[in-house]
Amino acid sequence: MISYFILSIVIAIATFLSRNERQFFATGVAFYAVQIVFALQIIFGGLYETSSATVFTFDAAGTLFYVLLTVVSAYAYFHSEAYMIGSNARQTGIYSGLLMLLTTAITGVYFANNIAVTWILLETTTLCSAGIIYHRRTTQTLEAAWKYLFVCSTGIAVAYLGILLLCAATKCESLSYEAVAAAVATANPLYLKTAFLLILCGYSCKAELFPLYTVGVDANFAAPSPASALISTGLVNAGFLAIFRIYKLLSGSEVFHWICNVLLLTGILSLVIGALFLRRTNNYKRFLSYSTVENMGIAIIGLGIGGIGVWAAIFHVACHTLIKSSLFLQMAVVRQIYDGYRINRIGDYIRINPIGAAGLIAGMVVLMAFPPSPLFVSELMILKQTILVNNWWIVAAMLLLICIVIYSFCSRMIRLCYQPNQDELHPSKSDRTLSWSALSLLIVAMILGMWRPEILVEFIAQIASL
Amino acid sequence: MIPALILLYVVTLFYLSITERFRNFASIVSIQGWLLFAIALLRLHTINPAELAFIAIETLLFKALLVPAILFAVIRHTKINRVRTSGSSQFGALLFSLTMLAISASVTCYISDSTVDLVFFGVALYALLSGLMLIVFRSRLFFHLVGFLIIENGVFLFSMAIGVEMPLVINIAILLDVLMSVLMLGIFFTRIDNKIHADDADSLTHVKD
Repeated sequence: MISYFILSIVIAIATFLSRNERQFFATGVAFYAVQIVFALQIIFGGLYETSSATVFTFDAAGTLFYVLLTVVSAYAYFHSEAYMIGSNARQTGIYSGLLMLLTTAITGVYFANNIAVTWILLETTTLCSAGIIYHRRTTQTLEAAWKYLFVCSTGIAVAYLGILLLCAATKCESLSYEAVAAAVATANPLYLKTAFLLILCGYSCKAELFPLYTVGVDANFAAPSPASALISTGLVNAGFLAIFRIYKLLSGSEVFHWICNVLLLTGILSLVIGALFLRRTNNYKRFLSYSTVENMGIAIIGLGIGGIGVWAAIFHVACHTLIKSSLFLQMAVVRQIYDGYRINRIGDYIRINPIGAAGLIAGMVVLMAFPPSPLFVSELMILKQTILVNNWWIVAAMLLLICIVIYSFCSRMIRLCYQPNQDELHPSKSDRTLSWSALSLLIVAMILGMWRPEILVEFIAQIASL
Repeated sequence: MIPALILLYVVTLFYLSITERFRNFASIVSIQGWLLFAIALLRLHTINPAELAFIAIETLLFKALLVPAILFAVIRHTKINRVRTSGSSQFGALLFSLTMLAISASVTCYISDSTVDLVFFGVALYALLSGLMLIVFRSRLFFHLVGFLIIENGVFLFSMAIGVEMPLVINIAILLDVLMSVLMLGIFFTRIDNKIHADDADSLTHVKD
């Protein structure tokens, strides 16, 4: 793991110093070669389920999300290359280097087996993301970066208070998840509840959940679209995994039922926020960000409901990674064409870029969880489990809110494709290969909706086992 | 000795609620840094000397010297010394601060058991609420910065309650947080001043639905 960090950081530094497109491409190839070799080492090279540097373990959860991260990050990086053509070389170098550092920090979060290390690396992702958000150096991006940095730092500080309380309650000298999990059974329940609330509240800024979801939405809005694809999936997964690991370690405590109820409430509130703001926003990137809030809400409900809901939640998050990154990458092409994302002004996309429009409409259908969407499988499983445990108010709330989401998606995305365009088109021609490339991620997600390899099912089952 | 220092720490939190000059806020952060340094030395004297030295140096260097220096630099750079854009009166703020203290004391009593040093926990909670109060009720970005630092100091104080067994990694976490966040916040604050020509949070309303 240490060699991985050193190699990745060295390549990121080289990217910071690069000054032309060929160098950016070369460092990008080198960086993702390292990621691929590392992923292969974990899966086939014997690293799986071993530890490294005492604070990292290559477990099933980390491996699954790392593979997804590598794919999404590589797409984001090479789409950025096309997206940034003609930009200031120095700024592009900083942006590309930060994208690599963000990927590296997220990888660390995925594999960390220690609560404090997870926390440190999540804080590091804040610094990398803030730089990416500020890439365009405009007043809006500065404001978004400031808010992101400030709220995330405060949220992370609150989470740290929760970690300290957890540490005090369990009297653990080591902060490894395993050691804390072994000690929670005898810990003071009130301390555990308070600690969980603080940690959930703090990490919600990363997982784009209620209550600190706003910074994630602002970040996705201000960052370049390819970077939003990474922030809205890889980084959100890091926050989700951090919460999931705490959830898992508390599963052996007497407060677990209470924690599940808190997660249900958080999930429903996130779903409410997502559904309502999908109707309200006038910007396609913010629209997709609220969709992330909504989907993370569904995943958290899955955790809260337990049983097969946990499996469904992991599967939901994994598939959401592919779908949402595809849609954000499609949005990068939309910006190349219209130079903006205003919902009430841009349109006629089906005529201007048929492939991109097809990608967006297909993405919309998949995100709304219509078959062959993998989200159909996960949402159906969550609903089934909710009915099985007779939690009818959750079923009613979920169905109502999902209907609002479906309506919002239909009205907004169809508007982009078919309403008359009122904005001037950007003079530069869009690169349609990017639309095809983004579509490929969606196709993989749709395949997963129809056919799930046995190895993936078992992998997720291993992660979901409490 | 430690109770006296903690009492002084509480006094700084009180003063925080009624003061209005930027320099006073920076001074409070500095005083809190020195108090935390003294508490760390007294509280953690039984731990490994190397770890104690690291914690003490880090506290002194960052919390008592560097962070206040950054705050003073920000004040000089932005040339804003007067305050007065708070939404509440000094008396109201003091009353609110007392309410926060009462809430912290009540919560501490409610969860009281032998696991955690309750004085540390109660004061840390009060610091957290004071910091949040500063962020919510004051509109200037400088206060948000100070509010964040107050929360950070409160969390650090609480970490010392369990500091006898505290692994070094916790301190590295605090170091990273203080160093990176504050430096970044400082940089952003000056950038905001250059770009938006205002230090008022009300002017940061372009990014919304």
